[in-house]
Amino acid sequence: MKRPVLTLYCLLVYAFLLAPILVVVGASFNAGNFLTFPPQGLSLRWYVTFFHNDVFMRAIRTSLWVAAVATVISGTIGTMAALYYVQHAGRWKEAVRIAMLAPLLLPEVLTAIALLFFVYAIGIGTTTMIGMVAGHVLITLPFVFINVSASLESFDPSWDMAARSLGADRLTRFRRIMLPLIKPGVIGGALFAFIISFDTFTISFMLKGIGTSTLPIQLFDYLRTNFTPEAAAVSTVSIALTLVVVIVSEKVLGLRIHRF
Amino acid sequence: MTPMRRKGLGPLILIAPAAVLLGVFLVLPYLNIVVMSFRMPGQGTPYGPGYTIGNYTKFFADSFYLLQVANTLWIGLVTTAICLVVGFPVAWQLARGAMRFRALAYGLVLSPLLVGIVIRSYGWTILLGNAGLINRMLTGMGLIDRPLPLMYNALGIVIALVHVFLPFMILPIMAAIQGVDPSLESAARSLGASRFTAFRRIVLPLCTPGIQAGCILVFVLSLSAYVTPSLIGGLRVKTMAVTVVDALIDTFQWPWGSALALMLSATGALCVVIFARLTRMKWKVARP
Repeated sequence: MKRPVLTLYCLLVYAFLLAPILVVVGASFNAGNFLTFPPQGLSLRWYVTFFHNDVFMRAIRTSLWVAAVATVISGTIGTMAALYYVQHAGRWKEAVRIAMLAPLLLPEVLTAIALLFFVYAIGIGTTTMIGMVAGHVLITLPFVFINVSASLESFDPSWDMAARSLGADRLTRFRRIMLPLIKPGVIGGALFAFIISFDTFTISFMLKGIGTSTLPIQLFDYLRTNFTPEAAAVSTVSIALTLVVVIVSEKVLGLRIHRF
Repeated sequence: MTPMRRKGLGPLILIAPAAVLLGVFLVLPYLNIVVMSFRMPGQGTPYGPGYTIGNYTKFFADSFYLLQVANTLWIGLVTTAICLVVGFPVAWQLARGAMRFRALAYGLVLSPLLVGIVIRSYGWTILLGNAGLINRMLTGMGLIDRPLPLMYNALGIVIALVHVFLPFMILPIMAAIQGVDPSLESAARSLGASRFTAFRRIVLPLCTPGIQAGCILVFVLSLSAYVTPSLIGGLRVKTMAVTVVDALIDTFQWPWGSALALMLSATGALCVVIFARLTRMKWKVARP
């Protein structure tokens, strides 16, 4: 190690970053009725409680459903927009970029409140999932756009011209040249969209209807009144779900995620 | 940049869905919320008939809300400053450190982003509570008699916010430092500049855009954070975002809530503009 002080400092910061997450995972195996330290023995009882808790199980299903729908929609729309941005936007390029990143730049609280009033103003309210899905698509769209346009940056227009001069039609050129190039970006963007949607709070909190709470909302409500380690078990399962999604896509698809 | 641009409306089909989505679910709602903030408060309904500027005069007339805005800005400012001081060395290490551990370290910085904000704030309540891990350990070691007040105050909120937003500071600064050619530093050193001078005159000005981006990101995010202040601050310390959301969820005062939300966002935007002006000026001064 060249600079021991700097290395030690960084290790401390990494410990700080991981501490609350590790504490939650550790607390979920606590056998006691409350979050006590040291834990009163190890047990999986809170996982059993959680798996028999219909409210939480329904919330997980809602979360996965909303995340899947939002990912498909924003993956499609975002990829198309990224293609336009890199290849056709011309002098509107900067304007398109800012518009696509707008949901990320605007405060999420304000967007959530504005959407809530809007769904009531147009008369659909929160009885359907339209408002919530629209909100999730909105906040995940920038991540798809960033990832796909980043993967298109390396695109050299002369490849397309070369293929054209060799007689390839438009569809073939898209399928054989463009698609392999943007594939990692699309998958990375969709992966990020899924995780963001699965974890997002404010949008879901404002736009939830009766019985359509997502997992973060249900967890938040639970934490306001309860102190049992069941919340830790719920959190651990949620973290594990995210990890599985990330690891599977990293190992199987070997992708790189661009977040910035 | 546009060698493939074609004439006609064909390519517009690519951008049309995004334009419609942003137009309907972003532009219209924002216009609507501005209008809403000028509506009359309702009696038993979310809003009444007619328009007024009363929601804004109420905001400026009541020192309670101005104080709360100041409080929120202060928490955001402190969070941003701590993130910068804590994060810069880590960004440096990530950008210039040994290759072997870089991927692992990068993963460690990114991993908190994959865990939901409710779960991370929950982790901090376990750590910081009066009967929490930290207080238990300190009393167990006999260092303190009474639990330290780490939660239900601004201190706890700042600790948790720093944790939540630190990656947003580290990543842009890391990217900026990676963009600075190390040979520039060597050149400055060979011309007799001290290590500190080389850093201050060469590296720091070159990675200012990354620092600016990180600061603005962390500041804006901490202003509009709801979950963390709500769980850690409890009922005692309320930030603006918590007040706004609670005003809407619990009391259904839509025009008032809209005005509050817009004032909070406007204040945040104003701070960012001031920050951008200030740092750009300093940057120019720093240049020879």
